Amino acid sequence: MELSKENALRAYRTMKTIREFEERLHVEFATGDIPGFVHLYAGEEAIATGICMHLNDLDKIASTHRGHGHCIAKGCDVDAMMAEIYGRKNGLCAGKGGSMHIADFEKGMMGANGIVGGGPPLVCGAGLAAKQLGNGGVAIAFVGDGGSNQGTTFESLNLASVWNLPCIFVVENNGYAETTSPKYSVACDDVSDRASGFNMPGVTIDGHDFFAVYETAGEAIRRAREGGGPTLIECKVNRYYGHFEGDQQTYRGDNEVEKVRETRDCINNFAERVTSAGIVDASEIEEINQEVSQQVEGSVSKAKAAPKPEAPDLLTDVYVAY
Amino acid sequence: MSAAGEVTVGILANPASGRDIRRLVAQASVFPIAEKCSMITRLLVSLGATGVGRVLMMPDGDGIAARVRRAVDFRRPGDGVWPAVEFLDMEMTSQAIDTVVAVEKMVARGARAIVVLGGDGTHRVVAKACGDVPITPLSTGTNNVFPAIREATIAGLATGLIAVGALSTEEVASRAKALRIDVNGTPREIALVDVAISSQRWAGAKALWRSGDIEQIFVAFAEADAIGLSAIAGLVHPLARNVVGGLRVDLAAPEDVERSVLAPIAPGLIVPVGIRAIEEFGEDEPQTVAAAEGVIALDGEREIEFTSTDRVSIHLDLNGPWTIDIASAMDRAAHGGLLSCDRREGES
Repeated sequence: MELSKENALRAYRTMKTIREFEERLHVEFATGDIPGFVHLYAGEEAIATGICMHLNDLDKIASTHRGHGHCIAKGCDVDAMMAEIYGRKNGLCAGKGGSMHIADFEKGMMGANGIVGGGPPLVCGAGLAAKQLGNGGVAIAFVGDGGSNQGTTFESLNLASVWNLPCIFVVENNGYAETTSPKYSVACDDVSDRASGFNMPGVTIDGHDFFAVYETAGEAIRRAREGGGPTLIECKVNRYYGHFEGDQQTYRGDNEVEKVRETRDCINNFAERVTSAGIVDASEIEEINQEVSQQVEGSVSKAKAAPKPEAPDLLTDVYVAY
Repeated sequence: MSAAGEVTVGILANPASGRDIRRLVAQASVFPIAEKCSMITRLLVSLGATGVGRVLMMPDGDGIAARVRRAVDFRRPGDGVWPAVEFLDMEMTSQAIDTVVAVEKMVARGARAIVVLGGDGTHRVVAKACGDVPITPLSTGTNNVFPAIREATIAGLATGLIAVGALSTEEVASRAKALRIDVNGTPREIALVDVAISSQRWAGAKALWRSGDIEQIFVAFAEADAIGLSAIAGLVHPLARNVVGGLRVDLAAPEDVERSVLAPIAPGLIVPVGIRAIEEFGEDEPQTVAAAEGVIALDGEREIEFTSTDRVSIHLDLNGPWTIDIASAMDRAAHGGLLSCDRREGES
């Protein structure tokens, strides 16, 4: 696989932006200023980034309740995302959606989704549209190991296969459906094994490894664009925080997250490999770190200062006129 | 703890094998954990029948240990005498290092043989740690060269007969060849079948299937009926497992050279590959790689990224793992009457 310097820097910036965004939300949510729930994506950045690097604005993604990383990787505006999470009028969805319903159709981001297993049916529609229009677009659904057990996911795998749709189903297996391990709740060995029942290829990869995700996604997306049909990619990964902010995580092992952060962190490992290979200088990494830090800091300040929706706003954006 | 005089054997089954990108870019099979567990159960029957008292296994969180425990707990009176099954006390990381640690523990605990269930990659990792303890290679998938697809019941009998001393390692096992990879003068890794040098910079999804990127391959042996990168060599210059020597093959685009071969480099993937040069090399003839930078694939999987500042050399090592020849072991068992149940005089 090839990765130009430009793309290596882009990948690093995207992963670092997601991490900084999530780590900051971890702090800000504890202050009580943010309404609703937030589910943080920290630790899983290589997946959203490695997949969305192959996409353009024509391509669609459908996300999960843990959607901030997918939004950032698909190109959503960080300031507008933060404003949305703070419930501000200038948010991506006018402050009415919050963390679990961020969407930006212009970027091909069909929405984070509070319904577990809600994304796969949406991408079947998007995939069918792309196929009918013949525009070469693909549609990607992200689901978790819990979402992989949902009937909606099974129906979508079936539909995508029988209609030979340009869809990719990415299962982010982070080891817990809320608090339940897939060892208790997933009947097959690996989630990717389910693909064979729907007559599509299924692959399991290391979701901490940007390079593994990037290459696998590239092959699956190329196959879909060329009319080869859908693929299921299972990414085994760890999330650094709880299911939601405030989760006490009593179901996790001692030092479980610390060990992963120490040895398998996707951002540190990526930086180490691209600098060792001489593709990127350490100074360029540091420059991105500072820029991203300032960007996220700015997004929080702007969100806090922005106005909230007012009472009349309750009656707008409720119905869609066709 | 093991009882005094109790014969111990290790079983190493890789729970993670067989889900890589070759399911997407080729037609590689998926080998279910349920079947691996069934093979282990058959091994337990055979090992028990030959007198092995204890089996050591690596624990795992993917279902092998759980299913084997269940099989042990629910066996019926007619199932014969099984060895005691003990799962090693070790911390798991879900990385290849788990296999190294487990095999080291098996060796330290006096295992007389280790049955390995996995692909070329699993066997490669076991070979790094098994020392002089012989291994019985069993393939769990369609993408392997070093281990063959064999019936576990028979593999268990052959292994058990060696473990209890009815057969000697020297008469039914031989040392496999290995290729040692040195980076900057320091041994870094080994391969049991082939080392490929790719011009790609990144290990990516590990498996190597784009023949156009492969500049050189080095093989410990090359069989004409193999699947994978060693098949390129096997189809133009076969080299047996028991012959002293390795082979270097310099590749090129088919249109750039006179000689090319249609090679099955992955299940369901047959591509033309150009051959620029082929040369045999011996134990004392370290090979340097032509590429200034790229990635080194070991037994088909990209593992080592190297740059122009690294010095990479490949060495033929004739002291690879002792590898049990199941057919030879069973042939000797037959001729020696080792499994004979003849009624002796005085028995009723």
